[in-house]
Amino acid sequence: MLGRIIRHEWRTLGADATLWVVGLAFVAAIGYGVWNGARWVGFQQAALAASAAEEAERYARLETEVQELQRTGGKVSPFRDPRSPSNAGSRFAPRYATLPPGPLAPLAVGQSDLLPYYFKVSTESRDAIVGATEIENPQRLLVGRFDLAFVLIFFYPILILALCYNMLSAEQEQGTLALTLSQPLSLATLASGKVLLRAGVLVGTVVVCTLAALFIGGVDLAGPGALPRLGLWVAAVVAYGAFWFGLAMLVASFGLRSAANATVLASAWLVLVVVLPSVFNLAATTLFPVPSRMELVQAVRVASDDANAAGSKLLAGYYEDHPELATGDAAQAMTDFNVIRIAVNDDVERRVRPVVQRYEQQIAAQQRLVDGLRFVSPAVLMQSALYDIAGTGHARHQTFLQQVDAYHAAWRQFFTPLIFQKASFTNYAGTPRFEFDEETAGTVAGRVAPAVFGLAIPAIALVWFALARLARFPIVS
Amino acid sequence: MILRIARKELLDLSRDGRFRMLSALVLVVSVVSLAAGWKTYTDLAAQHRTAQQATREQWLNQPKKNPHSAAHYGVYAFKPASQMAMVDTGIDPYVGVAVWLEAHKQNEMKYRPAQDRTAVQRFGSMNGAEVLQVLVPLFIVLMAFSAFAGEREQGTLRQLLSVGARPRDLALGKALGIAGGLGLILLPATALSVVALALSTSEGLLADDPWRVVALGAVYLTYFAVVTALALWVSAWASSSRLALVVLLTFWFANSVVASRVVSDLAAWLHPTPSAVEFQKGLEADLNNQEEMEERIERKRDELLKQYNVASVDALPIAFSGVSLQEGEEHGNEVFDKHFGALFDQYEQQNRVFQWSAIVAPMLATRGLSMGLSGTDFGQHRHFITAAETYRRDIQRTLNGDIAKNQKAGQVYMAGRELWDQVPAFTYEPPPAGWVLGQYSVALVVLGAWLVGAVALMMRAATTALVD
Repeated sequence: MLGRIIRHEWRTLGADATLWVVGLAFVAAIGYGVWNGARWVGFQQAALAASAAEEAERYARLETEVQELQRTGGKVSPFRDPRSPSNAGSRFAPRYATLPPGPLAPLAVGQSDLLPYYFKVSTESRDAIVGATEIENPQRLLVGRFDLAFVLIFFYPILILALCYNMLSAEQEQGTLALTLSQPLSLATLASGKVLLRAGVLVGTVVVCTLAALFIGGVDLAGPGALPRLGLWVAAVVAYGAFWFGLAMLVASFGLRSAANATVLASAWLVLVVVLPSVFNLAATTLFPVPSRMELVQAVRVASDDANAAGSKLLAGYYEDHPELATGDAAQAMTDFNVIRIAVNDDVERRVRPVVQRYEQQIAAQQRLVDGLRFVSPAVLMQSALYDIAGTGHARHQTFLQQVDAYHAAWRQFFTPLIFQKASFTNYAGTPRFEFDEETAGTVAGRVAPAVFGLAIPAIALVWFALARLARFPIVS
Repeated sequence: MILRIARKELLDLSRDGRFRMLSALVLVVSVVSLAAGWKTYTDLAAQHRTAQQATREQWLNQPKKNPHSAAHYGVYAFKPASQMAMVDTGIDPYVGVAVWLEAHKQNEMKYRPAQDRTAVQRFGSMNGAEVLQVLVPLFIVLMAFSAFAGEREQGTLRQLLSVGARPRDLALGKALGIAGGLGLILLPATALSVVALALSTSEGLLADDPWRVVALGAVYLTYFAVVTALALWVSAWASSSRLALVVLLTFWFANSVVASRVVSDLAAWLHPTPSAVEFQKGLEADLNNQEEMEERIERKRDELLKQYNVASVDALPIAFSGVSLQEGEEHGNEVFDKHFGALFDQYEQQNRVFQWSAIVAPMLATRGLSMGLSGTDFGQHRHFITAAETYRRDIQRTLNGDIAKNQKAGQVYMAGRELWDQVPAFTYEPPPAGWVLGQYSVALVVLGAWLVGAVALMMRAATTALVD
């Protein structure tokens, strides 16, 4: 019987020209979204290639320069000498720490247009390094991108609601409902058949079109980590769809007229997709305001002034902490500008650390609040899931930042002893390199799972509740 | 007659439960967003005052040192929050708040507040502008969609016209009724925002240019009039109120949610910007052009030798080191103007695409004007950057001039508080409302055209509408 209902619905829906137009518009939006995402990934890859080329070129130049100086024994100003480890570590030899786009990055631009994906790492302070940003028109950042995530979060529910708002009420209004139910058929079966067909068609369209778009866009779906992420993505699409189908079913089960159903569902969409997420943002930024970074700028400034004033004293303290670095003529080293600078930088960072932590705590508090509140809005849940799957959200960027911090420390560790020894530095090829250690699919799944369950469980509850209510449905109004 | 129709329309609305619920929602959201905007602004203003004061004191309290060391030490310029950012935060979260003004270098503004926020910000931030640009038009659509179509379905349209109500009056009366309904929400919200603006400053009622407030009010009223007229037009044209609602909701969605994203892509495609790596590469290549720099210094040296009629720089009455430092600055300034200028021009070109695109989506004109008048658009961000950069160049000129004047050959020259005092504190004066409106001439014309077009359509549709 279910099969017969589905077949019948398929024929009725297929005869509706409006649906075809809307459906085609939706397919076009999916295609455009993926294409747009792929273009952005292409831009990022070009930027990363440019950074790698710049680095290689600079290194080649430095190495020739060093060889030239070694061979001729030529003189050069100490500020320009590539053999000075201090010059090399801070100004000449910085390497890029880069975050390559994740395996399914074209699926969501997410925060990746806002959060920097490459840093030039040197012995300079952390603050100077991770303060870099990618160039982008701020108005474009404000507006956001037309990516697949946008299509799925905003359009997809509209389409579901448009397909379902009158699925029972129209038949009731036309009087065909009573006729149909005079057959040996329960209303629950009828409603399930209608929803199953619509869900099958819609979810199928989304999945097939996206896969096609990814394939045409040249995304390597067999690449490392791509398939499990794709699985998660399908799960999120199904769960988000299920929520809206469930909601439509529940509303339909009240037996209101089509117009009333449409009003209720449109209001629900407006509140859940447009108003609540915006209000969450307002709540997060108002309840846990992150003070303007102007305060950080001042804190760094004050700490540097103090540290610079205490320069040589700090160095003595630094030697106490790091006796292994004290070479024979420590007294002469005391006056060495570069050596003092290391101690000063170290001290500044120590002093500024608590201030930076205050910022990080506030941001973490905002994130916790939103992580909790998102279970109230399926749109925010879906956003968090899609960004995590595409690797364009907060979490993967945090991982990147942690790895950059470790790399920064390794970079300093590499150069600090050389600077203390006042060694002649020629080992350009041996400077540490950065390679982003990609998150495993398991880690991503662990983060995405709560969001998917957060969508699926209410969806199941809605459907269950709707089926229970259908028993009391006024078939003849 | 018009007034009577308006009164009836308003009465109908006020008896409608949906209207009451919606107005309550819009009112609550407006009040909450205003309160949040007020708090954010006052916090930011306090932080700005403290930081600006501190950087000034640090500059003045420098120990004795060579002026060029002081130039390297530099000062910070912090971007002040515009008071009307309470209503529209615009691009402010997406641009840096501080710029370091040091020797040899035009630095970029650093620390975008958006980087300190969660991803949910990409849904929007429910500030006053969002309420006005997204929620209020929706509210208008919901109030107006059945104005004609509904009467037609109930058969009352025929009755109304049979008693001699002129269709034109009917349209205007209904528009006025909706305006009245809107006024019930917007008037208290506006009164509250004016109070908030007044309370947030100690410098009189409005520290900002009052014309900005007036113009902003006019822009939003125009926009609401456009949406109301369009909604009534569709309601008169559509065969059923359901169709009217579907058409209007589609328009609302395309206009308020989709258009800006599509136009943003279009703008970037028409006027692409480079990645930071490429930009930096180009900038440094020009900056480190030693030949040009040396030529420049040589030219200046020859000029000075001729002017003072001496044979060598040592014989000059001024220290050439100061002069050559300043020449280096001038070289850098040209390079910065070229590269940053080209980049910022590109942004402005992109933003002009937004203005022109208002031809298909009036929201884009409104959004631009709203940000502009609130002082939170890119044009005014650039205005601030230029002011800070001019200040940096003035500092360098003062310090290098001092070196040229006071540095003696073979001596270590140290300057002190007297010189630091010669550098005035940084003050920033935002441009007047007229300047802003000049930047948005396209948006103004387009919005005006929308108003004329929409009202004309509404009037025509009202007179030609089918009675049943």
